[in-house]
Amino acid sequence: MNYEFNWSMLLEEPYIDWIKEGLLNTVQLSLMAWFIALTIGILIGSIRMMKSPVLRFIGTFYVEIFRNIPLLVQLFIWFFVFPLLLPDDLMRAWNSLDGVPFLTALIGLSLFTAARVAEQIRSGITSIPKGQFNAAFSTGLNTFQTYRFIVIPYAFRIMIPAISSEFLTIFKNSALTLTIGVAEITAAATYIESDTFRGIEAYSVASLSYMFTTASVVIFMTWLENFLRIPGLIGKK
Amino acid sequence: MSLPLVEIKNLSLKYGNYKALKNINISFFPGKCVVICGPSGSGKSSLLRCVNKLEEFDNGDVIFDGQSLKSAKNISQIRSNIGMVFQHFELYPHLSVLNNITLAPIQVKGLSKKDANFNAMKLLERVGIDDQANKYPAELSGGQQQRAAISRALALEPKLMLFDEPTSALDPEMISEVLKVMRDLADNGMSMLVVTHEMGFAKDVADEVVFMDEGKIIERSSSKSFFENPKSERAKEFINKVLLKI
Repeated sequence: MNYEFNWSMLLEEPYIDWIKEGLLNTVQLSLMAWFIALTIGILIGSIRMMKSPVLRFIGTFYVEIFRNIPLLVQLFIWFFVFPLLLPDDLMRAWNSLDGVPFLTALIGLSLFTAARVAEQIRSGITSIPKGQFNAAFSTGLNTFQTYRFIVIPYAFRIMIPAISSEFLTIFKNSALTLTIGVAEITAAATYIESDTFRGIEAYSVASLSYMFTTASVVIFMTWLENFLRIPGLIGKK
Repeated sequence: MSLPLVEIKNLSLKYGNYKALKNINISFFPGKCVVICGPSGSGKSSLLRCVNKLEEFDNGDVIFDGQSLKSAKNISQIRSNIGMVFQHFELYPHLSVLNNITLAPIQVKGLSKKDANFNAMKLLERVGIDDQANKYPAELSGGQQQRAAISRALALEPKLMLFDEPTSALDPEMISEVLKVMRDLADNGMSMLVVTHEMGFAKDVADEVVFMDEGKIIERSSSKSFFENPKSERAKEFINKVLLKI
C-alpha cells in the first residue's frame, strides 16, 4: 500500500464542520427516534396483550407492517411516496418545512424501531406471572393503571438487555438516512471522501464516531440496569 | 338476620371444556369467617376468584354488597372493597413493601401520599413488620411477605377479605405468624372467605366450613359440627385424610 495518511486535514475547514454537523445530526436523530420508538413500542406491545380483538389486531398489524419491510424501503416510501398521498395544501405545507429529510428520517426510523421494541416489550409482558395481574386487579387498579405501575415497569426491567441492543441498533440504522439526504456522520464521511479522496481518514472518523456514541449508550444502559435492579433478586450488587 | 354480603347464584365456570364450577348457589354473611376446603381441583380457588370477578364466569351471577358483578360497569371500584391474599403473595417485586401497600390507596382511593404512608405504617405495625417497610419483597422471608400482602389488601379498608391458600407456600414455622394475623382479623369481626388446608384454623377460628368437591358444594356446616359430625361420606373421608393423615 502506498498511501500517505493525512489525519490533520480532518481538522481543517470545512471538513471539521461537516464532521461536527454529521455527528450532531446522528446523535439528535437517533435520540429523538429512540424516544418516540420507545413510547410507541410500549403502547403497541401493550395493546397486543389486550382482550379486545380490535386492539390486538391493530397492534399485530402495526408490527407486521413495520418490521417486515426493509428500513431502506420504508425511508424511501416516507420520502417519495407519503407526500404524494397528502392533500395538495398539506403537501405544499410539508414541502415548505425546514429539514424535510430529517423529519422524514425521524418518522421512518422511529416507526420501524417501535415495531421491534413492541415485540420485546410483549415478550417481557408474557413473562410476568398472571398472579401479578390478579393482585393488581384485586386492589381495584384498572387495566391502564395495572400496566402503568406494575406490568410495564416490571417488563421493562426484564427487557433492558434486549432494549439496550435495540438502542445501539438505532444509531447504526440512522446511517441509512443519508440516502434521503440527511447530513449525518456517514454522509459527512462520503462528502469528505469525494472532496479529498481520503477515504481511510473519512470513514475512520465515521466508524469511531459510531463506536464512541454506542459506547456511551452501553455505559448509560449498564448504569440504568444496575439502578433499576430489584433488590433481593439475582444480580443486584 | 342481616343481608348477605356475597350472594352466589347459579354460578358456573368453565376452563375450555373443563367445568370448574357447576351451578353454585351460596350466600355469605357479614362478620363471619368461612373456611372453604376440599381436595385439590374441587373448585375452591376458582370460586374465590369469582367473588371479585378475576374469572369471567359463563353462567349465573355474584352479588356483592347488593351489586351484581356480571353487569358491573365499575368492577375496579367494587374490587377495591374486596381484599385478596394469594398463595404466592404476589407482591410487586420492583416496589418497596411500603409502596406495594400504598399504590392502590393513592391511585384508586385518591389518598395523599402522606396519609397512605401513615395508614400503611399502622398496618405494618399491626402485622409486626413495620421495620421492613423500606425493603423489597425479595429481601423478606415468606411469612413476612405474606403479612405484607395482607397489609396491602387491608389498606383499602375492604368489607371482605379473600384468602387463597395463604399458608400453602410457607414453612411450618412461618405458617403460625400468618395464621395469627388472620385470627386477629377474624376476632375483630372482618368478613373472611378462606381457602385453606389448615384444619386447625378451620376448627378454632372459622364460624363455618364449606366443603367442595368436583366443582360443587357438598356440605356447609358450623365448623364444630363439620369436624365432629360431617354429613357427607366424602367430607368424612376428607377429614380423615387431612386430620389423621391416613
